[in-house]
Amino acid sequence: MTDSPRKPKVFRLNPEQDEAKPASKPEPKPQAAKPSAKPKPSAKARKPRALPAPEIVYEEDQPEQPLVPAVARDHTLPKRFKWGAILVSAALGLVTMWAGLTATQLIEELFARNQVLGWIGTGLLGLILLAALAIIFREIAGLMRVRKLGTTQADAARAISADDARAADSTMNDLREIYSGRADMRWGMAQLRDHAKAIIDPADRIKLAERDLMVPLDEEANRIIARTARRVSVITAVAPAALDIALVGAQNLKMLRELATLYGGRPGTLGTLRLARMVAGHLAVTGGLAMSDSVISAVIGKGLIGRLSARFGEGAVNGILTARIGLAAMDLCRPLPFLTQTRPGLSDFMREVVRFGDGEAKEPDGQKTM
Amino acid sequence: MSSFLSGLYNEARNAAGGMKDFATGIVSPTLRIGVTGLSRSGKTVFITSLVHALLHGGKLPLFTALTQGRINRVYLEPQPDDDVPRFAYEQHVEALTGDNRHWPESTNRLSQLRLTIEYEATGLVARNLQGSKLHVDIIDYPGEWLLDLPLMSQTYAEWSAATLKASEREPRKTLAKQWLAHLGTLDPAAPADEAQAQKAAKLFTDYLASCRADDVSLSTLPPGRFLMPGDLAGSPLLTFAPLALDPATKSADGSLHAMMERRYDAYVSRVVEPFFYNHFARLDRQIVLVDTLSALNAGAEAVKDLKTALTDVLGCFRQGANSWASAVFGRRADRILFAATKADLLHHSSHDKLEKVLGLIVEDARKRAEFAGARIDVAAVAAIRATREATVKQDGETLECIAGIPIKGEELAGETFNGTSEAAIFPGDLPDDPAAALDGSLEGELKFVRFRPPLVRHEGAASAVATFPHIRLDRALEFLIGDRLT
Repeated sequence: MTDSPRKPKVFRLNPEQDEAKPASKPEPKPQAAKPSAKPKPSAKARKPRALPAPEIVYEEDQPEQPLVPAVARDHTLPKRFKWGAILVSAALGLVTMWAGLTATQLIEELFARNQVLGWIGTGLLGLILLAALAIIFREIAGLMRVRKLGTTQADAARAISADDARAADSTMNDLREIYSGRADMRWGMAQLRDHAKAIIDPADRIKLAERDLMVPLDEEANRIIARTARRVSVITAVAPAALDIALVGAQNLKMLRELATLYGGRPGTLGTLRLARMVAGHLAVTGGLAMSDSVISAVIGKGLIGRLSARFGEGAVNGILTARIGLAAMDLCRPLPFLTQTRPGLSDFMREVVRFGDGEAKEPDGQKTM
Repeated sequence: MSSFLSGLYNEARNAAGGMKDFATGIVSPTLRIGVTGLSRSGKTVFITSLVHALLHGGKLPLFTALTQGRINRVYLEPQPDDDVPRFAYEQHVEALTGDNRHWPESTNRLSQLRLTIEYEATGLVARNLQGSKLHVDIIDYPGEWLLDLPLMSQTYAEWSAATLKASEREPRKTLAKQWLAHLGTLDPAAPADEAQAQKAAKLFTDYLASCRADDVSLSTLPPGRFLMPGDLAGSPLLTFAPLALDPATKSADGSLHAMMERRYDAYVSRVVEPFFYNHFARLDRQIVLVDTLSALNAGAEAVKDLKTALTDVLGCFRQGANSWASAVFGRRADRILFAATKADLLHHSSHDKLEKVLGLIVEDARKRAEFAGARIDVAAVAAIRATREATVKQDGETLECIAGIPIKGEELAGETFNGTSEAAIFPGDLPDDPAAALDGSLEGELKFVRFRPPLVRHEGAASAVATFPHIRLDRALEFLIGDRLT
């Protein structure tokens, strides 16, 4: 309330726009005027009056509550000098130096033998460095994209819960950034642009964005999860015991990467690993909950298939756990929280997992009306 | 005792109507939407725009059933009550889009409309049992008549006392001067005299009418038929007025008091109660349109008066959650939307402030409905958006303006508009604290100018009918009927 209230004012628009001349009829468009369509205030516009100074109401300071200093309780182990870190970094430094030395020596030897070989060696070394740099940049970009999905989600949640216009704006900008280049999102983005012209409340704008952008992606995500879960259960059942852990792990990482790419994260290797860590954390938080319902029943239900074949029973459990990991990854990668759509549950995938063979997957029905 | 009996009778009337609704509802589900609003709050325009948008598939992104493509067909049907005129939808659209486009004239009689929506149901039960048709019944009526509803619970003496008390405060006091002077000459115990009664009624009516002028814009002005008599003009039902009564005295036979009291009672039982019980007692959904901006234009007194009027009127409705029993004993309105209409008269960045002011105005009514278990929403709405938005930079300040063609004769800052040229208006800042709207600190700080209806343009294919631009009509629609289309 520090601003003084502003008086009503009127600005005459260009008189050529008078309706008497139908050729230049002003079209009251159902859209917010863009800043470029700014009407110019004419000379006739009334000067703002000097307003009486606003009565300043000083806000009371925070109510007198004795501040209790939070005593940080240290439950961690006493800090010790990190010899381990020094060991690792020193070793790494040595290895780098060795690699550099070896490379230099190699090139020098090549030059000593033949000028041409030397140049070829130099070129190859340059390529190696370039590729390494490119990989590093790509990994960093991938990590940042994955992180962006998370911040977008937080913004969207704030826009929804507080009906906060600024949070909604930043969410929409993020979404535009993430999806504008994608051919498969063109229709959704066009819809979104269309809605941006109307006056819509912040929370409703997020809901519209979810409906326009997320629905096709969710369907695809469900398909990815179902496919991987089924594949994992088959692999567990048929692969030799020594190999199956590695294969299942690889399948899971591939699924994470596919999901993140689908929602616009496009992570590299590090991004995928980071995502895997986040998923593990997410599962640790929500895992107890899941244990209570579906997983337990799945593990017990394994008895049925397990009685037929121990390997098939293990396959079913692995498949269900994979679906669970996929769902957690979906929660993390989806830039908007589930608002108008129902979050697919583990039970949606149960059928897929235990149905071996039969390649054509029917994606679970994860949609609800708004 | 008699009030208990009449209460019982009214409950029975409700229950009988409820039974009838229940029976017909099994075959063809019907939704009664009560468009509630005092006069000039925009009921007619709201209904017209809503029907137009549904009939022609307007841009309603938040109306889920439509965006999901589940609405197959929407059409107008003959309304269920044969004794009620049809809502003149076509004329109103013509008025809004014709050559000399203007807002529809104020409504002077009751009319009804039935809209049938054929949709694809999503639920298993809905798909197989109820069919996929929903009838939406909407009635339009003069908003003045709504003011009568609180009279149902008042006796003549109570009403007289309340009316006289209200007229003691400014700005009513000056407007009521003539009527009060005549009232001073009347003796309630004197023998009834038709000429005296007519004169009192005439002066009383003039006083009520003067209270409605734009610069005063008061709302609590019962009885409503005095302002909008409909087909009752000149009837003895409307020939009464408050008297200065001593609360202790009873009316003597043949006295002026007795005659006035009899006419008041007849007015309530023959005009008000049928109006209410035939059309408002069994609503499913209610939208309360409030012309907050006109009240803000006129000042704190008008806002306070609007608050009183709305609280009294809304107190008459049956609101709250429905149970299985209410399907038989008469339904309640279980969703109520409070809408600040004409939201296009200010920039959208001020809409949440407008919603706050409205929230303050309907505070009591809202609490009551929420307590009864109804779902509530408050929104700034423009059924037809007549303006577009613009920003003007002046003296280093950025003013959020709205641009459109003001109605001929509107004035702002010493300028009078001619009704043909466009202007950008900065209507003033709404207060951050809505309480300022009631304490009078806003006098002269705000001025909302009315605009002409927008020029509706045909877009795309030539056969497509252009729809009206709007603000949050889709949100209102989703709230009111969205859940019945699943």
